[in-house]
Amino acid sequence: MNRIWWWLVEITSQALEPHERDAVCGDLAESGETAGVALRAMLGLVARRQAALWKDWRPWAVLILLTLPLGILLSVAARITTSLSATYGWLYVNNWDWALLRYAEFWYELRDSLAFVFVGCFSLACWSWTAGFVLGSVSRRLILANGVLFCLTLFLGGLLAAPGYLAYVFQDVPSPNSSNPVAALAVYRNVVPLILQVALAAAPFIWAMRKGADSRRLPALLRTLVWAAAIVTLLGVVIRDPGSGFWPGTYRHPAFWHILRRASQFIVCWPAVYLISDAIGHRWRRMHA
Amino acid sequence: MLGEFEYLLLTAAARLGEDAYGAAIRQEIESATKRSCSIGALYTTLDRLEAKGFVKTWMGDPTPQRGGRPKRMVRVTAKGSQAASAFYKAVVQVSRGVSWETSRIAVRT
Repeated sequence: MNRIWWWLVEITSQALEPHERDAVCGDLAESGETAGVALRAMLGLVARRQAALWKDWRPWAVLILLTLPLGILLSVAARITTSLSATYGWLYVNNWDWALLRYAEFWYELRDSLAFVFVGCFSLACWSWTAGFVLGSVSRRLILANGVLFCLTLFLGGLLAAPGYLAYVFQDVPSPNSSNPVAALAVYRNVVPLILQVALAAAPFIWAMRKGADSRRLPALLRTLVWAAAIVTLLGVVIRDPGSGFWPGTYRHPAFWHILRRASQFIVCWPAVYLISDAIGHRWRRMHA
Repeated sequence: MLGEFEYLLLTAAARLGEDAYGAAIRQEIESATKRSCSIGALYTTLDRLEAKGFVKTWMGDPTPQRGGRPKRMVRVTAKGSQAASAFYKAVVQVSRGVSWETSRIAVRT
């Protein structure tokens, strides 16, 4: 148990600047504090440091212009992707028959379904990774606060639609989902989407924030390329369904939006390329050190 | 004008002299006031005092009893000494003739 508390102290201390982290952890070790007291002391210092940062106007600008819009956007995107994945899961699990394996059509259908679900999940993970990278780059010292606020927006974003659903409850009219067999099951309606949301949206976002905070070390040209890819990727989230969702009226220039969508579908993979090159570069540097 | 905790921190650092650093200052304040001193309050106040030019801080050498971590050493500047002195004078001045000050003198004599 003690080990877990000290591990939490170590994790919390990551929110401090490296020199301060060393000094504070050293003070705690020297004074022989118990793990519980040390954790409380560390949380207190981190809370004070984070609160002090909000005296400036920049964190507020990042919150209003980036954290909240990206959180809401990805909340909607995650809900759509995870619900679709849950529906496909239901289709196969609830209608399973071993005899299906004998039919070639089943395998074609399964291949297409898996590809569809994989592309959706992969895109969602890349969008979240990109959002985390951008936020980590622009607010290095606010990683903790922005991470918490983003995750809250991501998970509570769906509540924005709650007033609409309350009408069905109070006016006793059938909800649009009442005849949907997938939505009728809590596992497919809530549990599977929630697990996928954590795995495909929250986890990549948190991971990428750390990477984004370190991006200042990248050479200028690479940094420009990374930023261009990140901007196109995030635009891709917005324009993925032009005319029917985020950009009403875009049907007037279908060719332009089609090209932009196509381009963003390829560029969305940039986090994978970035991580693979980063890992290769790391290994190469270690071998030649 | 200094705050109460700022004054305590400056005084503790001045008393410790060359050995003034985070944990030692905290211990000094706790033994003088008989109250616990949070690390958060200590380090944020230290930063504020440094920004005002009342103290100078730097990272010392790592020591084994601190798990190989360095200390944040503190030195009170001339400006800090003046501010602490002004605060002390103000406290003495404003306390003259009040019941707890006269009873303290009576206890002494």
